[in-house]
Amino acid sequence: MRRLALTLALAATVASAPRGAWAAAALEMAVKAAYLYRFAAFVQWPPGAFNGPGTPAQICIAGDDPFGNVLDQAVKGKKIANHPISIVRLDRVDKAPPCQILFVAPSPRRRVAETLDKVRGSPILTVTDSGADPADRGVIDFVLQDNRVRFRIDGRAAVEGGLAISSKLRRLAIGSGGPP
Amino acid sequence: MTAGARQPMRPRLLPTVGAVIAALVLVVAGLAVAAYNENTFKAQASREAQVQADIVAASVTAALAFDDESAAQEYLDALRANPQVEAAGLYNSAGRLLAGYRREARQALPTRVVNPFSAQSDGHIMVAAPVVQGATRLGSVYIRTDAEPPARRAFRYVAIGLLGVMASLVVVILAGANSVQRQANRALGEANEMLRLQIEQRERAEEALRQSQKMEAMGQLTGGVAHDFNNLLMVASSGLELLDRTQDPRRRETLRQAVRQALDRGADLTRQLLAFSRRSPLKSSVVDLGAQLDGMRVLLDRSLREDIVVRFDIEPGLWPVEVDPVQLEVALLNIAVNARDAMPNGGLITIRARNRPDRAVEGLDGDFVELTVTDTGRGMSAETIHRVFEPFFTTKAVGKGTGLGLSQVYGFTRASGGDARIRSEPGRGAAISLFFPRSTRPLDAPAADAGPPPEVRTPANVTVLLVEDDDAVAHAVGAMLSELGYRYDRAPNATAALERLESGQHVDLVFSDMVMPGAIDGVTLARVIRDRWPDLPVVLTSGFSEAADAAARDGWRLLAKPYRMETLAAELAAARADGPAPRDAAAKS
Ligand SMILES: Nc1ncnc2c1ncn2[C@@H]1O[C@H](COP(=O)(O)OP(=O)(O)OP(=O)(O)O)[C@@H](O)[C@H]1O
Ligand SMILES: [Mg+2]
Repeated sequence: MRRLALTLALAATVASAPRGAWAAAALEMAVKAAYLYRFAAFVQWPPGAFNGPGTPAQICIAGDDPFGNVLDQAVKGKKIANHPISIVRLDRVDKAPPCQILFVAPSPRRRVAETLDKVRGSPILTVTDSGADPADRGVIDFVLQDNRVRFRIDGRAAVEGGLAISSKLRRLAIGSGGPP
Repeated sequence: MTAGARQPMRPRLLPTVGAVIAALVLVVAGLAVAAYNENTFKAQASREAQVQADIVAASVTAALAFDDESAAQEYLDALRANPQVEAAGLYNSAGRLLAGYRREARQALPTRVVNPFSAQSDGHIMVAAPVVQGATRLGSVYIRTDAEPPARRAFRYVAIGLLGVMASLVVVILAGANSVQRQANRALGEANEMLRLQIEQRERAEEALRQSQKMEAMGQLTGGVAHDFNNLLMVASSGLELLDRTQDPRRRETLRQAVRQALDRGADLTRQLLAFSRRSPLKSSVVDLGAQLDGMRVLLDRSLREDIVVRFDIEPGLWPVEVDPVQLEVALLNIAVNARDAMPNGGLITIRARNRPDRAVEGLDGDFVELTVTDTGRGMSAETIHRVFEPFFTTKAVGKGTGLGLSQVYGFTRASGGDARIRSEPGRGAAISLFFPRSTRPLDAPAADAGPPPEVRTPANVTVLLVEDDDAVAHAVGAMLSELGYRYDRAPNATAALERLESGQHVDLVFSDMVMPGAIDGVTLARVIRDRWPDLPVVLTSGFSEAADAAARDGWRLLAKPYRMETLAAELAAARADGPAPRDAAAKS
């Protein structure tokens, strides 16, 4: 039943719904891509985090891009805090890249933790995917639970970056106790 | 129905019509208010549904954004707290249903909701609100509410119904009150009429009682007076008879005094009766009580017996008092005679007068002069004291007392602004005290009649026409006239008198009784004479106080019966000297 509901929900988000195991993995990444953009609605960046009115909000991807075309599709025509969205794929991450959202793709040998360390304290919403070690987790970390895409939130990291995360979002996060 | 009965209906009808109109206005106003309420209620219910949807929309943004079905369901299930919400659904940005809530299973949810809307149908309100987070449109919340729960709607209809019922009740009550009032009015009128009748009956009964009391009093009075008078006449006539039979000067003198006393007593009697019945206003003057008492020594001596000693104890410098001297004399005489009667074997009467300053006497405010008559007689019981001032109260045998003496005393002192009190015990004498308020006015000049009687001038050749119906009186008066030196001619009535005058018979003066049988009375005769023989003087006489008063008021020369010879002489002489009747008498007729 839940599976069906998720499928239905994803079908609404993703243009085409492939089938089979591969299809399930593709579906999962499509959901994550949509969520990545949707997080923005529940996050408030500190003043000066954006370059100026009219300049795009950047969703950056560090590491191997798992979304491909799906992310570009998902954010097409959408805006973050009245800024048009541009997707930036970073080869390497320096200190404080000009990103509002930084997705650090999973990678071996502590690359994720290093990347996160470099942007720690910057007003960047870092998002990671299923960090086993807490050091590998960004402000938001995707978690697959009961075959559903869920997430957890590192409140301390958000505060360090000067980000205000809506309580509505927090309540949905794993370990928050759920909605009131 | 008569016109008179119809008249009062109109004012009664008017308020009823007004009330009905008022009630109708009330109903219409009530319905208008209800309709208005209905509209505002619907608008409000719609607003409430919208707000509800907005709240849900604001709460479920994250759940919707991240497809958290269970969280969304929990938010929607929270709507159970609002009984008006029938169904609610959460739709994603594609318009697909994510989670739904139904109060009852049979209620359905739309399968697709994309755009916000608000609709009403058949008492239900359907609202779809957008779910927006920041600038991002995430989907919609759909809510259907029952605009008005049945109980509430029923209550509203009941309220409107109640309004109508109350309005009709108002009309009914008003109509009822109207008829009740009419009935009450009728009852009141009847009660009033009854009361009036009762009052009338009571008044009649009281009047009858008064009349009978008056008759009883009159009976006592006439009985007593007749008895007294008979006795007096007996004394007088037997005395006269005896006078004719004896030549012994001492015996004749005793008899003459007895007759004299009887006649005086008779005069006293009538004077008292008149004082009592006439209730004439006091002819008060400011007098020195000491001087007045002094002047009464002779009168008292003559009224009492030889075995009774009268002692005067009068404080010099008594304050002036304002009293009617004649009444004072009568009062003192009444008291003295009572004392005499209480002392059949003789005794002492003390007449004492004292100034009594403010508050010296209990119950009297201000300065008073006290006059107390004390005797050494048999005294009175408390019961008697309680009643002595009542008219006709007497312990004396029939014919011996009228019971008017102390009643006159009391009436006189009260009318003079004073008070009368009695102290007595059986066997220990009695003291009757009169209190007169001190007068602030100066003493009046002594009355003219207090002086020596005017010199009786023997008229020469003067003819008096005596008009008198009573033969005995005519005879007696004729004798007096002759004794005074007048010539007289008697006419038995006014008509006869006029005939004499018209025949040209010489008359110098007309002396006429006032109340006579026949067509003309004394006053009329006097008027005719004044008109036709203006120079002829007329003197009227009467024993009836009312007639005498009327004549005196009209200015006629008047001689009240009984009178002494000196008085008659003086009056006739004065009439001849003054000439005809005074001018004001002519003016008044
Ligand atoms: N000085 C007194 N001593 C004893 N009793 C008195 C005395 N004065 C009055 N009374 C009683 O009061 C009664 C009423 O007196 P009042 O003078 O009013 O009437 P009367 O003397 O009986 O009759 P009237 O005076 O009219 O001839 C008397 O009958 C007598 O009983
Ligand atoms: Mg008496």
